[in-house]
Amino acid sequence: MRYPFLMSIAPLSAVAALFALTAAPAIGQTAKTAPAAQAPSAKITPAAVAKNWAQPKTPWGDPDLQGTWTDDDCIGTPMNRPANFGDRLYYTEQELADRESRLEKQLQNDLVETVAPDQRVGTGPPAHWGERARRPCRQTSLVVDPPNGKTPDLLPEAKTRRIPEGAGNNNPQPASWEDFSYYIRCISRGVTGSIFPVIYGNGQQIVQAPGYVTILQEMVHEARVIPTDGRPHASQNIRSYMGDPRGHWEGNTLVVETTNFLGDKTGIGLNGGGVPTSDALKLTERYTRIGPNEMKYEVTIDDPKTYTSPFKVAFPLTQEPGYQNFEYACHEGNYAMFDSLSGARAQEKKAAAKAAAQK
Amino acid sequence: MPNRWRTRILLSASFVVLFTAVPASGQTPARTASQIPRMPDGKPNFTGLWEALGTAYWDIQDHSAHAGPFFQLGATGAEPAGQGIVEGGEIPYTPAAAAKQKENLKNRLKLDPEIKCDMPGIPRANYMPFPFQIVQSQRDIAFAYEYATSNRVVNMGKFKEGAVDTWMGTSNGHWEGDTLVVDVSGLNGNSWFDRSGDFQTENIHIVERFTLPDADHINYEATIEDKTIYTRPWKIGTVFYRRKEKGAQLNEFKCVEYAEELIYGDLKKK
Repeated sequence: MRYPFLMSIAPLSAVAALFALTAAPAIGQTAKTAPAAQAPSAKITPAAVAKNWAQPKTPWGDPDLQGTWTDDDCIGTPMNRPANFGDRLYYTEQELADRESRLEKQLQNDLVETVAPDQRVGTGPPAHWGERARRPCRQTSLVVDPPNGKTPDLLPEAKTRRIPEGAGNNNPQPASWEDFSYYIRCISRGVTGSIFPVIYGNGQQIVQAPGYVTILQEMVHEARVIPTDGRPHASQNIRSYMGDPRGHWEGNTLVVETTNFLGDKTGIGLNGGGVPTSDALKLTERYTRIGPNEMKYEVTIDDPKTYTSPFKVAFPLTQEPGYQNFEYACHEGNYAMFDSLSGARAQEKKAAAKAAAQK
Repeated sequence: MPNRWRTRILLSASFVVLFTAVPASGQTPARTASQIPRMPDGKPNFTGLWEALGTAYWDIQDHSAHAGPFFQLGATGAEPAGQGIVEGGEIPYTPAAAAKQKENLKNRLKLDPEIKCDMPGIPRANYMPFPFQIVQSQRDIAFAYEYATSNRVVNMGKFKEGAVDTWMGTSNGHWEGDTLVVDVSGLNGNSWFDRSGDFQTENIHIVERFTLPDADHINYEATIEDKTIYTRPWKIGTVFYRRKEKGAQLNEFKCVEYAEELIYGDLKKK
């Protein structure tokens, strides 16, 4: 996150989570002035691949991917490609120029301190709490394969799986915490939900040791410890939200295969939303650093109990000056869960009193 | 530190004499007869899966065995006796703080952050009955704790003040010879030390020291100061053991879902 005071939003995480699912980048106009030094500039040109750049190595000889990386630039890029782009993955130069001027306008809006009298004020966090793209994402969708940029069809059995509230299914009166998504419950967003770009908390801090790569993620404070020493996967009887990752190096690319997921928890949508994946899910991620501050990320999602075919999502990660992870104490401050549940109970009580009065 | 170097030279000389071999890597010889893992630059390498033994997670002071709070759990819910890890045996609380600790213990089921699956804070995270993984780079050092998937990254670069107070605090590290010294500040004061109500405030400052006496143990020591509740700085000391069983690795313990009924149960639809 860019702003230290983001810490104060932990209590609102669930509200923010709901918001993140629906929010396109054009957030309300309630922003206070962001510290000028930290305001991102849309004028920064895309990180060009350095011509004379060579992949640095750790002292023990592995490609060195360390640093804190973010996919902020692709915030708001849709998972599935809008039909009008057909098989076209990249925007034209003209489309990119348009998007760049929209980003600039958005950044101006972020600096607006007051709300016009006729403006509706949302319940989401103010715009300056969010992270922003510093330059336009070049892609028309996050899904890059199949070529039409669309998530493959669901298998019939997957269509019957329950989608929890806040993960694409908004039940107005939750009976229990179990009606909410695992993200709103501050349990997990799953592996893909923890890296796909959302409104904030996109940081991926990589720390390497001989035989290990660790990826620390801000939201729900995940730490993926990835052995790269060739050891086999853990027993299939040990399953988890974040799965059992194993890494290896293919040239300068870190390849991470993750299996042993719990089934029916999180989905492949943003923040782990959408139809939950199954216990047969296998993820293959590829991290390839292509410059001092740019990395290619791609993940192949293979879940033969959920989708009709495997598919691939990709986007760039960048390192940005001053960008760092902060502690996101999600569960510790999850007052939104109290508020949502007590609100639902209060509504029921009111409705019951009204019904009784009408008898 | 001329004495230390002299010791090193002597030891490495005897090593050569006794075993007629230099360490295969040709790096800085170990300080002790048994080799410790080292990074390419000669620093001790703490990377690995570690866990404390003992019962400090119940009570960091010396304690007898006790019944647990729920008779239904029988022997499995009871607290074993154990040697404490507080140097000198006692936490030097002010009288008011000592009274608060007793209140905490009495109301533990409501107040202990561990029961609610809150992040454990420092130093508690280190000696819970869960392993933790250290991933040590040539620069920073990551600690991933199994309990509540809590974690911290020790900044080994220029000292950085924490932007805000947090559960896991802000860790800045440096090397003193073969000892990793970690300064922990910016803790939010919500964490406890154990299940016995021993507590801290946001004024706490901790200096941890990690040393490898051999390849499979870490000697851990932490100096704790907080003038608002302790009459003097005090120390804890314990040992972390390398987990060596076949297949041992950090597993996932996302405990939120085990605490939700407790925390939100009264708000469930009847």
